[in-house]
Amino acid sequence: MEKKNKNYLTGKEIRAIAKENAQIMRRLEAFKNRICDESEFVTTMHDDANILEIEDLHTYFFTEQGTVKAVNGVSYNVPKNSVVGIVGESGCGKSVTSMSVMRLIQGPTGQIVDGSIRFKAYDYQRDEDGEPVADENGEYRMEEKVYDIAQMPIHEIHRIRGKQIAMIFQEPMTSLNPVFTIGEQLDEVTLIHVPDATKEMAKEKSCEMLRLVGIIPENVYDRFPHELSGGMRQRVMIAMALAAEPRLIIADEPTTALDVTIQAQILDLLQDIKKKIDGSILLITHDLGVIAEMADYVVVMYAGKVIEKGTVFEIFQDPRHPYTIGLQKSKPTMTLDDSAELYNIPGNVPNPVNMPTHCYFKERCAKCTAKCSGEYPGMVQVSPTHFVACHLYDEENANG
Amino acid sequence: MAKVIEKTKELNAQYGEKQAQYAEDFAKPFDTEAILEVRHLRKTFPLKKTMLGKVTKELVAVDDISFKLMPGETLGIVGESGCGKTTAGRAILKLHEPTGGQIIFNGQDITHFNSKQMRPIRKQMQIIFQDPYSSLPPRSTVGGILSEPVQVHKIVPKAQIKEYVLDLMEKCGLRDYYYERYPHEFSGGQRQRICIARALSVNPKLVICDEPVSALDVSIQAQIINLLKDLQKQMNLAYVFISHDLSVVKFISDKIGVMYLGAMMEFGTKEDIFRNPLHPYTKALFSAVPNPDPTAKMERIKLEGDIPSPANPPKGCRFHTRCPYAKDICKCQAPAYTEVEPGHFAACHLLTEE
Repeated sequence: MEKKNKNYLTGKEIRAIAKENAQIMRRLEAFKNRICDESEFVTTMHDDANILEIEDLHTYFFTEQGTVKAVNGVSYNVPKNSVVGIVGESGCGKSVTSMSVMRLIQGPTGQIVDGSIRFKAYDYQRDEDGEPVADENGEYRMEEKVYDIAQMPIHEIHRIRGKQIAMIFQEPMTSLNPVFTIGEQLDEVTLIHVPDATKEMAKEKSCEMLRLVGIIPENVYDRFPHELSGGMRQRVMIAMALAAEPRLIIADEPTTALDVTIQAQILDLLQDIKKKIDGSILLITHDLGVIAEMADYVVVMYAGKVIEKGTVFEIFQDPRHPYTIGLQKSKPTMTLDDSAELYNIPGNVPNPVNMPTHCYFKERCAKCTAKCSGEYPGMVQVSPTHFVACHLYDEENANG
Repeated sequence: MAKVIEKTKELNAQYGEKQAQYAEDFAKPFDTEAILEVRHLRKTFPLKKTMLGKVTKELVAVDDISFKLMPGETLGIVGESGCGKTTAGRAILKLHEPTGGQIIFNGQDITHFNSKQMRPIRKQMQIIFQDPYSSLPPRSTVGGILSEPVQVHKIVPKAQIKEYVLDLMEKCGLRDYYYERYPHEFSGGQRQRICIARALSVNPKLVICDEPVSALDVSIQAQIINLLKDLQKQMNLAYVFISHDLSVVKFISDKIGVMYLGAMMEFGTKEDIFRNPLHPYTKALFSAVPNPDPTAKMERIKLEGDIPSPANPPKGCRFHTRCPYAKDICKCQAPAYTEVEPGHFAACHLLTEE
């Protein structure tokens, strides 16, 4: 029988999908919870200048409507001491990528299916049980180790999460615990991640971090989150992220919920922090202005794929992909001539279930050619640091 | 506590004093050309009451704003969260009963109209809300949503309603087969189009757009802004466009009002405000907007600290706690809202000194 509306699934179809999903999810959950030796997830970096390498990452959500390929073959690198900005519209998978790095994808529905996330950690030397080893003086020795986060069992992730990679979330209101004081929440970071830490040590560290983000510790240490304003809460979040001295900070839309004047303060703070700590920032945002101001490298994502990546100058001054060009033109700016009509990209982002095999941007693209109906375009190198996934530049690649 | 009551009394007394000056303004004849004229609009919300219901503490959400809007014009209201821009928009529509001031719509003083008197006015003034996800009824179809206002206000005869709605949908960029669909089947941009179509279904003269594009992505945002501009030309609509995004406001507005903590800080035409911002807050606000050009390195006017609570606004000039140019006079005396250039108003002591 022909279905009246394609948007609805029948009960039979939903049951078939659920059955299939259950099998896949069971297999992946078992892999996630396995007990294995360290050697299984320790690897080497492809390029030593990077701190994080994401290669061909696939993160899927197995829903009742079908498989949502939220991240579908994403690769990018985060070099040492740099700010990498990821930009894209909502639903393009930029947050899911960062959540995959932190292994915070909500299971069993959400699973990292394939790919590798290599992270250069500066970790304690550990014994066979994974506990830090102290030498005869009671000091812990550190060593550089490269972990493949995607292969790590979930109970080993505490080696990295919060300690080596810290995250700043979008909503400072909901990501602080309302029933604990700021001080208690900040101390916890040190108490968990530094072996043999005492409460005094933790408090000292917390106060130091609060000073670093421009807050007088006495004013907030014994206060509860609801007593602070949005900007202050975001500062506390940043202090918390810094408390364990991470090598990589993931800032997921850190200023979206804030007002422009407060946003300017927080961006300045992040710039300062980057200079002070010896680390990198992965900045996720949909605001092109924020990216242009903060980032050294830019990754543009669309519907779960990277469509263009390069340095900030390449992306903003010589954008290649029609989507990147359209995105920049459709944003009204303060300097734009406003008598003309604003450029807009027609149509909508495609439905994440049942993605086509051709270029996802084809339906909305003005420069679409016959070739675009074929398979998904591969990454074309335009300059040593500039890559674009579009058939328009295939020839350029073939010639030179 | 006693201090708070004292302060409230003081504020009320000040307002009482001003009331005498306002009475003069209120008595002035209405501008027959303007579609909307707002004079000294004030809206307060009670925070604390005594047992007998007497208000001892109140929050002044909108304090003394005045402007005029001609048909076919757009007024942009910008400001940070909590500055009272949404309350102002709602008070104009009388969704909140204004506490003081005068609202003149189409040559009629509607400030003290009751709901029955408001009915015929309602179809001339409409609102588009920020969140297209929560402002559409999930249980009616697009056709139902759009035909209900037409039916209630008897815009066209019953037999022509469907035709009228389909025509309207086409205008707003909605396909005709969406008529039978439900809101959950649409993306944010499409839903916002439905909201716009619903607002326009009764042929309004004034539309209040309360952050209509804030919840949308950049590429969709551009579509909606263009649609609003097109419809304005076609139907000669007047918009009050409320937004926190300066670049969007700049693109769509003819006149701009900058609000801070309930008061209008600066008001003027777009050219005035953007070429020659006078108030330090406007300047700081403009310089805080990130520029999507990595080569441009501009000097930023940094504002220290947070926005004070609107329940307890600073004495004197509201902005003095964050103002980089604040002087002693700013701390004790509120600056007057004066016409600095023709049509360009600002409230700052620095401008009135000479």
